[in-house]
Amino acid sequence: MALAMMKIGETRVLQDFHGREETRRHLQDMGFIKGEKVQVVGENLSGLILVVKGVRVALNRGLAAQIMVA
Amino acid sequence: MSYKIALAGNPNCGKTTLFNELTGSRQHVGNWPGVTVDKKEGGYRKNKEISILDLPGTYSLSPYSAEERIAREYLVKERPDVVIDIVDGTSMERNLYLTLQIAELGIPMVIAMNMMDEVESRGDRIDCEKLASLLGVPVVPIVARSNKGTQTLMEEVLKVAQSGQVPRELDIYEGELYAAIRENRLTEEQEEQVADLRYTYIGELVKQTVKKKQAVHAETKSDKIDKILTNRFLALPIFVVIMYLMFACTFSENFLFIPELPSPGVWLAGVVESLWGGLAEGVIGLVEGAGASGWIVELVTSCLDGIGAVFGFLPLVLVLFLLLSFLEDSGYMARVAFVMDRIFRHFGLSGRSFIPMLMGFGCSVPALMASRTLESDKDRKITMMITPFMSCGAKLPIYAMFAATLFAENNQTMIVFAIYMLGIVVAVIGALLLNKFAFQEGASNFIMELPQYRIPTLKSVLIHAWEKVRGFAVKAGTVIFASTVLIWFLSSFNFTGMCDMEESFLASIGNAIRWIFVPLGFGDWRASVGVVTGWIAKENIVSTFGQLFGGVSDEVIEAVSAGEQALPAITEVFTKVSAWSYMAFNLLCMPCFAAVGAIRREMGSWKWTLRAVGFQMATAYVVALLINIIGNLIF
Repeated sequence: MALAMMKIGETRVLQDFHGREETRRHLQDMGFIKGEKVQVVGENLSGLILVVKGVRVALNRGLAAQIMVA
Repeated sequence: MSYKIALAGNPNCGKTTLFNELTGSRQHVGNWPGVTVDKKEGGYRKNKEISILDLPGTYSLSPYSAEERIAREYLVKERPDVVIDIVDGTSMERNLYLTLQIAELGIPMVIAMNMMDEVESRGDRIDCEKLASLLGVPVVPIVARSNKGTQTLMEEVLKVAQSGQVPRELDIYEGELYAAIRENRLTEEQEEQVADLRYTYIGELVKQTVKKKQAVHAETKSDKIDKILTNRFLALPIFVVIMYLMFACTFSENFLFIPELPSPGVWLAGVVESLWGGLAEGVIGLVEGAGASGWIVELVTSCLDGIGAVFGFLPLVLVLFLLLSFLEDSGYMARVAFVMDRIFRHFGLSGRSFIPMLMGFGCSVPALMASRTLESDKDRKITMMITPFMSCGAKLPIYAMFAATLFAENNQTMIVFAIYMLGIVVAVIGALLLNKFAFQEGASNFIMELPQYRIPTLKSVLIHAWEKVRGFAVKAGTVIFASTVLIWFLSSFNFTGMCDMEESFLASIGNAIRWIFVPLGFGDWRASVGVVTGWIAKENIVSTFGQLFGGVSDEVIEAVSAGEQALPAITEVFTKVSAWSYMAFNLLCMPCFAAVGAIRREMGSWKWTLRAVGFQMATAYVVALLINIIGNLIF
């Protein structure tokens, strides 16, 4: 499923990314890699606040829809 | 021996804070990722032979944005003697990714494990010695904010500089991959493989060196604050209230709705104005007493009027700056950018563009430089074109002057707040139009780390305040002073010699261009001259008005020191509607030359600079025209 569908408090594992290569690389540099745990800690009209590798990262909803989790 | 030391690390890990501690400089710091956009150099406080270079923060050495490229190119090409890699101890897993990449470059390095106070307050433990032996580089725990451990850090750095000890080569890559890395020719797939290997290795390092009190992510104070400040429904109202409070602290005559209680800004402004009034009277008395000829007295009086008009408003600007820097240092900036993302997306921009815009409330020049952190070229260009619509500190005295003179019986905070809001609304509509007709490209994605909320240190806030006062003093002593002398000359002479102001060179110049502004409601030569002097520095509008509408009559001094109408003569030329139109025009038209220079540097082309200025001029004219037409229909 897409990361954008996750609810607050939910934790899942990153699977895949369907988007532009440079965005994928940037996400990778920030710790978004396959198999990594991701937790949703906040959500609003703009998008989601996640915790990845112990760091809070905010993503817009459109980008969160391109990230697949399991 | 002289050494070159570079500071590298993730965004917002405290590089500039450490840089300021080591060099004694006062570079701008803030609690949001991307404050430093350019490399900055300084000498080590205790040994000037050692030069220290502050690099922009990066998540990795694979360049993604302009400032990451700066860091990469410096490390790879210039090869500093030692790299201090600053690691945020509270998020080692992510920070060590860059550490490994730097280590792979084979440059001597020392790791500064920063924010150890926060690590301890969480009850976590980091075994720095173990990490040092695993990586083969010294690891020094520090707290850059309170200057702890920096002495030891520099001792280690010197040792490494002398020995030239390079980090141990990592044996995590094999065969083909190893060769590919060496020759810097990784395929996409290999890159992913490498990232994976690095993160796996980091996981191993962290497991061996970090003892976490809580295994999973525990809800921190920052998470709790975020639940409110980035809440689906509350986020925007809270932002508007914070902005309003900021302006109330700066301008309000009835602070916190208590009648007659001046806000800190207004109170300070009153003090400064009465001090200046006394000083000006004294100086003029002295000059007269010394038997100076009439024109010298006039020149001195005129310059004092001019600079004094600006000086009186300095406290307002200072209070606004202090509050802005508080916002920056607290960690709220990144949240606002995120909350605004939703709205900005409608206009073709990402919320990231809001950070330069918010900084624009202080000064357009650093704000324009901050637009460098934006990823797409389109976002950068549009943001640069609309950032000057955010009313900068130098424009504030203009509104304060009109508010005190023409809107004395209205809620002055509301008047000024409204003009700031006008700037935001016009910026947003401008972005929409530019995006629709000039660029036609989707908004880029929003990815931003949200830092921990922190209470700003007094030192950092005072640095901001001091920089502002100093910057103003320099400006007042140079550009504004020179302008006032020029304005005095032009307004006192014509080809026949000294004359009445109405027949001066300046009046001729003003009268020659004043027809342009007739449709906007301020076709007066003095108002027209104000617009032009505003391009040199926006404060000049106030100093020019001080000279052309002022004259230190006893009534004016009395009125000013009572905090009343600053320049009563303005009411002869302006109505409330034309005052609005004038404020709007000066808010939106071409920014000062310093800002235009910044646009030129960041755009990298004159063509785009002229387009930006043309767009701003046209916008200013249309908006002021609308205000004048609609305003006169209503009132």
